[in-house]
Amino acid sequence: MLARSCLRSTRTFAGAKNGAINFTKRAASSSSSGSTAPAQPVMLNIAAVASTAVAIGSIAWYYHLYGPTANAMTPAEEGLHPTKYPWVHQQALKTFDHQALRRGFQVYREVCASCHSLSRVPYRALVGVLLTVDEAKALAEENEYDTEPNDEGEIEKRPGKLSDYLPAPYKNDEAARAANNGALPPDLSLITKARHGGCDYIFSLLTGYPEEPPAGAQVGAGLNFNPYFPGTGIAMARVLYDGLVEYEDETPASTSQMAKDVVEFLNWAAEPEMDDRKRMGFKVLTVTTVLFALSVWVKRYKWAHIKSRKIVYDPPKVGDGPAPRY
Amino acid sequence: MGIWDVITDIVEAATPWTVAEAEAAAAPAAEEATNEQATEDSKPASEEPEAEEAAEEEDAEKEEEEEEEEEDDEEEIVDPKEKFEEECRESKQCAPAKHHFEECVDRVNNGSKEDCVEEFFHLTHCATDCAAPKVWSALK
Repeated sequence: MLARSCLRSTRTFAGAKNGAINFTKRAASSSSSGSTAPAQPVMLNIAAVASTAVAIGSIAWYYHLYGPTANAMTPAEEGLHPTKYPWVHQQALKTFDHQALRRGFQVYREVCASCHSLSRVPYRALVGVLLTVDEAKALAEENEYDTEPNDEGEIEKRPGKLSDYLPAPYKNDEAARAANNGALPPDLSLITKARHGGCDYIFSLLTGYPEEPPAGAQVGAGLNFNPYFPGTGIAMARVLYDGLVEYEDETPASTSQMAKDVVEFLNWAAEPEMDDRKRMGFKVLTVTTVLFALSVWVKRYKWAHIKSRKIVYDPPKVGDGPAPRY
Repeated sequence: MGIWDVITDIVEAATPWTVAEAEAAAAPAAEEATNEQATEDSKPASEEPEAEEAAEEEDAEKEEEEEEEEEDDEEEIVDPKEKFEEECRESKQCAPAKHHFEECVDRVNNGSKEDCVEEFFHLTHCATDCAAPKVWSALK
């Protein structure tokens, strides 16, 4: 309606203006050329005014249809951005806290592993990082794995070895979906790298379930409200509750403690090379400083004779007479 | 295990830059081997560093446990995150966000058809932001 009313006003305005201009022109031309017949100026005016009106109208109609951008993204769809937490292991020269990794693995095994796989981590990777060889072997032997085909071509079961990978809770994605109401629990091997916000996001997600969703929020069937999950409806319910896990080092197992430990463990699972990487980086810096110092000394050595030379102009003595003139 | 392994074991145990191996159970076997084959002089050399390391670890653990006990409220586990965020929500810093959220809740309870997700986000963001360093100093 607004567009149409605007249109009407512009048309009348344009018509009046055009008419006025053309009228003066016609008056001028008629006065100069006398009695030559004008080529039906009224019709021309009408055509010009009408085409202009149509042009303006089409622009207005187009803007009415497509002009305003559709801002479909709401904060709820975006999800709450996680707060930055001061993770110690993310500092430039800090390693993982391996006690925390050990606790985090315990949390993963006792809580997360019932739904989430950790398929890229073998038992051997745990050795020396958070388990001893014997602990890792004992853990591996708790699970059965397929053998190579025997003489009759049949595949039997054998207890796990260090070279085996952590077992997945479900046979395949379809089974996982079927068991979880259609939602697929993602593999956690690289999850801290795979999610925007990394450690902060996962920590916030695990600890961020409110007691009840805020007033008026729509939570879908089978979903739970979590502000950090894009769309706020997450299929995973809150799993970490105070005292759920009994830590072997008697750390009080509060929700946030478990979340912190398991996130650090997952960060290790995603980048097990981090400690080595930081050490390598420091080595590089050390070697570079030595080389730089060396290069400074070499430069001084090489430039010594250039810097210490003295250029003297000793003009030739030309007799006792006056200076030669050219 | 040959005699050369025994010698290298002894050397590794005696040198200060030795790498701490994760093999806990392998250590006694190595010691037995040293008892059988090596001379008596080598035994203290192989045992001393381990004993020192163990002692240091114990000390560190004790200190940590003492700190925990101070924080631990007698078996009643209080989640520091929830505690500090609750304090932060009530703080002056988050008063505007809390005010808006509560007004929104009132509106919804009086029949408005909006949702308070955005207000909730602002309040939560303020609370977590304020609580983050406190939570981290409370957690291990």
